[in-house]
Amino acid sequence: MLVLLIAILAVGGLAAWYGERAGPDAPRWIALAAISLVGLLLLPYFGPAVSPTDGAWLSEIYATWIPRFGVGFHLALDGLSLALAVLTVLLGAAAVAASWTEIRDRVGFFHCNLLWTLAGVLGVFLAMDLFLFFVFWEAMIVPMALLIAIWGHEDRTAAAMKFFLFTQLSGLLMLLAMIGLVLLHHRNTGIFTFDYPVLLNAELDGDVARWLMLGFFVAFAVKLPAVPFHTWLPDAHTQAPTGGSVLLAGVLLKTGAYGLLRFVLPLFPEAAAAFAPVAQGLGVASILYGGWLAFGQDDMKRLIAYTSISHMGFVLVGVFAWNEQGIDGAVMTMLAHGISASALFMLAGGLQERIHTRDMRRMGRLWADVPRMGAIALFFSVAALGLPGLGNFVGEFLVLQGGYLVSPVITAIAALGLVVAPVYSLVLMQRVFQGTCLEPHRLSDCGGRELAAFGVLMLATLWLGLYPLPALTVAKWATAPVVELSYSGEDPPP
Amino acid sequence: MNVDRVQVESLVPLAIYFLLVLGVVGVMLAIPRFVAQRRRSQARDEPFESGILSVGDTHLHLGVHFWPIAIFFVIFDLEAIFIFAWAVAVREVGWPGYLEMLVFVSVLLAALVYLWKLGALDWRTRRQQLQDSLLSERG
Amino acid sequence: MSAAAIGSAELTALLPIVTLGTTAVVVLLWIAFRRNHAEAVWLTLGGLSATLLALAPAAGTGPRDVTGLLRIDGYALFFIALFCLAAIIVVLLARDYLRERAEQPEEFYLLLLTSLLGASVLAASTHFASFFLGLETLSISLFPLIAYATRDARALEAATKYLVLSGVASGFLLFGMALVYAETGSLAFGGTAPAATAVLQAGAVLILVGVGFKLSFFPFHLWTADVYQGAPAPVTALLATVSKGAVFAVLLRYGVDAPLARLPMSETVLGTLAGASMLIGNLAALAQHNLKRLLAYSSIAHMGYLLLAVIAMQRIGPALAAETLGFYLAAYTLTTLAAFGVMTAMSPADREAEEIGDYAGLFWTRPAIALLLTLSLLSLAGIPLTAGFIGKFYLFIAASHAALWPLLGLFVVGSGLGLYYYLRVIFRMAASVGEGTAPGPSGALQVSLGTEAALAFLGLSIAVLGLLPASLIDFLAAEALR
Repeated sequence: MLVLLIAILAVGGLAAWYGERAGPDAPRWIALAAISLVGLLLLPYFGPAVSPTDGAWLSEIYATWIPRFGVGFHLALDGLSLALAVLTVLLGAAAVAASWTEIRDRVGFFHCNLLWTLAGVLGVFLAMDLFLFFVFWEAMIVPMALLIAIWGHEDRTAAAMKFFLFTQLSGLLMLLAMIGLVLLHHRNTGIFTFDYPVLLNAELDGDVARWLMLGFFVAFAVKLPAVPFHTWLPDAHTQAPTGGSVLLAGVLLKTGAYGLLRFVLPLFPEAAAAFAPVAQGLGVASILYGGWLAFGQDDMKRLIAYTSISHMGFVLVGVFAWNEQGIDGAVMTMLAHGISASALFMLAGGLQERIHTRDMRRMGRLWADVPRMGAIALFFSVAALGLPGLGNFVGEFLVLQGGYLVSPVITAIAALGLVVAPVYSLVLMQRVFQGTCLEPHRLSDCGGRELAAFGVLMLATLWLGLYPLPALTVAKWATAPVVELSYSGEDPPP
Repeated sequence: MNVDRVQVESLVPLAIYFLLVLGVVGVMLAIPRFVAQRRRSQARDEPFESGILSVGDTHLHLGVHFWPIAIFFVIFDLEAIFIFAWAVAVREVGWPGYLEMLVFVSVLLAALVYLWKLGALDWRTRRQQLQDSLLSERG
Repeated sequence: MSAAAIGSAELTALLPIVTLGTTAVVVLLWIAFRRNHAEAVWLTLGGLSATLLALAPAAGTGPRDVTGLLRIDGYALFFIALFCLAAIIVVLLARDYLRERAEQPEEFYLLLLTSLLGASVLAASTHFASFFLGLETLSISLFPLIAYATRDARALEAATKYLVLSGVASGFLLFGMALVYAETGSLAFGGTAPAATAVLQAGAVLILVGVGFKLSFFPFHLWTADVYQGAPAPVTALLATVSKGAVFAVLLRYGVDAPLARLPMSETVLGTLAGASMLIGNLAALAQHNLKRLLAYSSIAHMGYLLLAVIAMQRIGPALAAETLGFYLAAYTLTTLAAFGVMTAMSPADREAEEIGDYAGLFWTRPAIALLLTLSLLSLAGIPLTAGFIGKFYLFIAASHAALWPLLGLFVVGSGLGLYYYLRVIFRMAASVGEGTAPGPSGALQVSLGTEAALAFLGLSIAVLGLLPASLIDFLAAEALR
């Protein structure tokens, strides 16, 4: 079943490539069909029939792969994976919609890469074998880099290169850490295995554990991205085609946070706990630095990219607060930011398609021309700045609440981010849709297709904001054991 | 280690001989320095036919057919060393050794056949070959 | 060394090598009487297939020492099989390549067979005599091959360069062997000496220098780029895979058998060579615009990576090291062959498609070939789902096991640098046609079914080894050196 999810996307990619011969729109429909099919297959897991018991997977598949090193093809689904898989499907469909008119060349290959990226991301969320995880982790980079390198804007090759190099190099450090972990486990028990559940019980010395944990952390911090590993992100986002930006902001960044939750905390609880203040410090730095830089950008996509860094800083703070609220908040922020950032990128892409620039100095008073887009932009801007009632607020609030329990100082500084956020969000609105018009434009407003895509995303944001319980419950199936881990080493906090 | 010493002692005449050779060569090289006349002129410094200015193109086309022949000689002559070695041990290695030698010689033979067929043993120049073939066509 | 009798079991064990030699002689005679390109190709292919078939009975005789010079075991047979496979592919590539360019293409296959004979002897040798004989057979066959097809001055220059430097390297090697012999009194790898004297160490270092030339480790790498560039693409493929693979095979065997290799200083020396090769190779490759030169420098880096397995051997034992070497070399051979195969298939009759610019927009003009080159470059870069990744994974495991952390750090840095220039080529291929000079399909070589089959096989095997490496890994684990 789980294999099917990935296989559908992978095969769909090939079909989309070949489908190009049937007509320029065929790949789009094939991609949509494949993504919807995956979405449909995910639905049954929400049903009451599959109520999870403690620590059990919703669904699992295991096959030996490379017995020499105990590598298995181990896929498993739990609440956290499920929530992120749904996000992946949703944003995958949004990415297809966003590229509907933007991509005109090599449509088939574009959708092939898009679907393969999705397949890789889904694999990352499902893999429960370290080796398999790494394979998916790296495999998703290749089509993503091609998306940027082929269909991107002016400076696409350099951006794709930077993206690839950052992820790959940090990934190699992670691979080294994985191998170190496995070899240690082998030395202690005589068993070679890359299986995640088995390795959870590996005994580690404090010193070694710190190094291994750092290997994993660097990889995920690059992907997240956290200051100071963030420099690839603005370039990649700015140069990527809209569909690529949507995937990057919505899904790929989340794999970093997912990795922290899934691997860094459970595998190295003591080392991670010791490292938490540093990680939280990096998170706070990301929040403020990202927000500050966002404020100074002229390029609309670059601005949104920096806000992503800022928001993912909240995730980092939440994860390393390591209590129920913090982790719930981090998960919530991941979901909500995935949606809002993607929507903003789609808007930026839509505007670029219409007026052929991302430079906000050449925009202004667009509300008059495209009121619907303006309204949508307003909605997602206030979502991004954390307006209560929308998903992002819930996430950030929980993060701050959780953070406060652990270290009030860091949280207080992080809360400054809530001040920065309105500044850049409103600056975005003001410069693009208000103000004076320098160049007259004659633009068409959103069509039905765009409205539908934005509508779904708006509904999702509203739902996450007004009734977050279901999403949190689903995620909690998985995060509860992680939270419990934090209490094992020391006294429970008050 | 006794054997070594004996060997070293028996090398002494060889060493003396070697030194003598060096000495003689040194003396022969030294004599002209003291005896011979010295002249400097442009032609003398020419590396080719020193003392005489060369006339015309020095890049002559020489038939180099002797060259492959010489190479063949060296190759096949070298192989003879192996046969000598076999001859010394012919009784010890017996029939298997004979077979191995047979294989070796037949491989050599194959190489010879190949070279022959290639025309490497043809002493004529290309022009002569061409003429001969034309003649045979007419005849 | 006693004159070991050769019985039927020994002959069976030698069967692959004997078959290769016989094929060479038969092809030689055939050329003498009937000069025909197609027939020479078929004879060669037949002989190579027969050699592959002869591996089975040879494996049946178990690990066996033959005449004190060779040891036919799973390790040797694996490499012989790998080389034969590579040679078959080179034959298929060369057939198209030579048809247009060479007046007398038949001797190419003869030289290919003799070079293969040398490589096979190397893979099985346990004795300095067979080591040297194999190496010289291999090298001497390579000189004319490098200068073969083109009347290009560069090819001649490359061949001369290779000839001279090989001669120098052989000199070092022989001197090293002589010094080692002087101390141990034995030419077998396993000879022991009472103490690690200065002479012994000097001998070991000189041997390493000789081998280092052949494998183009850092200070001895200067010939690599010129020879790679000057030689015809199929020959470069042979040089990069079979020649280097054979020398590496014998290097590891020497390291395992010879107590000398475990001198404390050898780890330092080897480590320095490996680290420097990784760095210098990758850094130099960054600046290349010529794909052949780029691959030449990247091969220096790859040889540096691979040296990790030999260094690690001293700490983790021969079994895992031999497995690592076997898998990495198999992956590297297939990958490199694919890269040069693409180059061969892309080259018009009057020149070679060696500039990166020749590949601009290839994705849109010839997608299948572009996909293969991409796969091959990704495999060289060690990206998952390719054979190269599993090889790199193996090296990571071996080196972590041996706790070679500084070298692993250099490995990671080198990989990053490597990724940059591999990606540059890939992105160039993905560029729009208008952006560069893309040679239309018309300019390129007429590709026959044989080349297409060879390329398809390479692409498939790179992917399959990346996806399902278990069977090869299990085989290597069972047959590795003990």
